[in-house]
Amino acid sequence: MTMHLLAKSDVPRFLSALSGRFEMYGPQVHPESGDVFFDLAADGSRIRLDAPIPVNSPKFAVFPHWERILSYAYDRENKEVKIIPEDLVRPKALVGVRACDLTGLLCFDRFFLGQEFVDEFYRAHRRKIFIVSVTCTAPFPQCFCVCTDSGPYAAEGYDVNLTDLGESYLLEPGSEAGRALAAELGLAEAGPDAARRRDEAVDRSISLFEAKAVENKAWISRAVNRLTTGFVKNETWEYIGKQCFECGACSFVCPSCSCFNIEDVNRQSGGTDRLRTWDSCSFEGYARMAGEHNPRRPVEDRRNKRFFCKLSYSQSKKYLRPGCVGCGRCVRVCPGDIGMTNVVTAIRRDITG
Amino acid sequence: MDMTRNAAAVSLPVPAEITQIREEIEDVKTFYFRFEDPELERSFPIRSGQFVMCTVFGAGEFAVSLPWSPEQDRRHLSVRSVGKVTSALHGLRVGDKIGIRGPFGNGFPFAELSGRNLIYVAGGIGLIPLRSSIVHALLHREDFGRIILLYGAKSSRELMYRPNIEEWRKRDGFETYVTIDRPEPGWDGETGFVHTLIEKANVPIENTTAFVCGPPVMFNAVIGELSRRGLKDDCIISTLERHMKCGIGKCQHCAIGRTLVCTDGPVYTYKQIKTLGETI
Ligand SMILES: Cc1cc2nc3c(=O)[nH]c(=O)nc-3n(C[C@H](O)[C@H](O)[C@H](O)COP(=O)(O)OP(=O)(O)OC[C@H]3O[C@@H](n4cnc5c(N)ncnc54)[C@H](O)[C@@H]3O)c2cc1C
Ligand code: SF4
Ligand code: SF4
Repeated sequence: MTMHLLAKSDVPRFLSALSGRFEMYGPQVHPESGDVFFDLAADGSRIRLDAPIPVNSPKFAVFPHWERILSYAYDRENKEVKIIPEDLVRPKALVGVRACDLTGLLCFDRFFLGQEFVDEFYRAHRRKIFIVSVTCTAPFPQCFCVCTDSGPYAAEGYDVNLTDLGESYLLEPGSEAGRALAAELGLAEAGPDAARRRDEAVDRSISLFEAKAVENKAWISRAVNRLTTGFVKNETWEYIGKQCFECGACSFVCPSCSCFNIEDVNRQSGGTDRLRTWDSCSFEGYARMAGEHNPRRPVEDRRNKRFFCKLSYSQSKKYLRPGCVGCGRCVRVCPGDIGMTNVVTAIRRDITG
Repeated sequence: MDMTRNAAAVSLPVPAEITQIREEIEDVKTFYFRFEDPELERSFPIRSGQFVMCTVFGAGEFAVSLPWSPEQDRRHLSVRSVGKVTSALHGLRVGDKIGIRGPFGNGFPFAELSGRNLIYVAGGIGLIPLRSSIVHALLHREDFGRIILLYGAKSSRELMYRPNIEEWRKRDGFETYVTIDRPEPGWDGETGFVHTLIEKANVPIENTTAFVCGPPVMFNAVIGELSRRGLKDDCIISTLERHMKCGIGKCQHCAIGRTLVCTDGPVYTYKQIKTLGETI
């Protein structure tokens, strides 16, 4: 597709064109803490395309922390039941999505849409999403996407991708909707050297990553191998399990974690909402069955699940790639210091305490 | 919401009316039902061994086996009251509505079973997921070798589907052995654990598939005995149970190792079970 240039001075116009037809989401700097959150932005004006990687992933836009998936009312007197599907999904634009997080969304697509059954609730969100991704021209301290093949440049899945070339962004449409937007804004076509300048920017970024990846101990392929072939010592899992506080933070910040719970909640005013909420395989009740039978009682039993799910070959089949996209968030949030890269190290070195 | 692939009964529960309730054993009732939608009532194709998600309005949803056979029988569910949702179901009366999503899961591999001896070994409510398969096998009696039911429960009051068992007992070519753990006044049948029936029934090993369902202790004892006699792991079939929320392979609660009970199961061979990489 034709590539365009988006002058930095033109970014507000670009964002306001989107905010006319979508609910806008993007990275914003919290005025007090200075932390960056990917969040709803009333209009586009608070979105910072150059902000560091947000503390949360954008997955909530397609897979909300909690959402009503249907509601019903049962009139027991008259034996009448009314089941009401949910249809309040609004079109959203996710702006400033980084390649790792976009890869996470693609994992979601393959998992929620590409298996035996389609998850209709996910699909309802997903088909109304417009994605503006940004190339990371420099890594952030926590990153290792180059080790998980998910960045720093997004290869697919965006409507529009932006790469910072200095005075302007290179705007690459990845879909018909993206192309239409570029045409509508009347953006100049990028010259013949644009692709080269983009590749240079990406190469420079990757070269900066090398040091980061070593620093972050992200020897992912080695861990994939060991997990897949079962060469991880029980003592190593026990050590990892002992470190876990079962807080669930790793699952909640992870762009590819998608476990959920479903609960029927009765409204005070009558009627019932069926809610689905984020869940985590680290929680004690995750697999508990009636009569207190819990097949995954010891925490190391549960804790290793996350790492099998992210890295083992058999589990990767559901995403057609490893589930970990190298965003480094679980490393940042884990109070027990067993984020992905530390676990990778523990597995590589048979660390047991 | 517009939906794909018979989506109504996949994502949204469809209403059904309870038409009859039978007290089966203590804490277990059988609920006969009929779909509100005449189209579904006419045709709701299932494979034996599958399950549905059943909504008790106002309480929640739970996974439940389909005990009826694909080609015969009124539709019904047999449910033990063990917690929030199942006890709410037990509080319902004839005429009340429930919701059904499904059917889900793989079902028993009948295509591979023709010509074989079928041995059903069940403990307590483990007979529920096997019932459909037994009725199906009896309907196609000529397709199989010996068909044997070995059924055990703690006491005579804990034997499921007694009217069915009495009826099956009378059938030609269906061998029925029922045992209770300890002798009881008025009980003149077998006593002792169910795995002891394997010897008594002189269970064949060649060309045989065994269906084993029941509590873990019983399961292990039966498998032990069958294996000792030389039955291969891939000739032993069971159904697994796991905490389950969605039924369609998304919530991940029912993961055991690399398998999901809802979409890959609930029917597994013992050979598969051994390689799941997690305790069952
Ligand atoms: C494939 C399959 C077939 C089943 N068939 C039958 C059947 O024919 N008859 C029958 O009586 N029971 C059956 N069960 C078990 C039944 O689903 C549970 O007893 C039921 O979910 C308990 O729900 P509750 O709300 O009453 O219990 P609570 O303890 O209050 O459980 C709360 C929630 O935990 C989950 N949960 C708890 N125990 C189980 C469990 N054993 N399996 C799955 N989820 C659980 C459910 O999501 C439930 O809503 C089956 C389970 C599975 C997975
Ligand atoms: S496992 Fe950790 S580093 Fe990998 S994608 Fe998830 S949150 Fe990011
Ligand atoms: S963030 Fe760390 S402590 Fe919390 S559940 Fe995840 S692994 Fe356990």
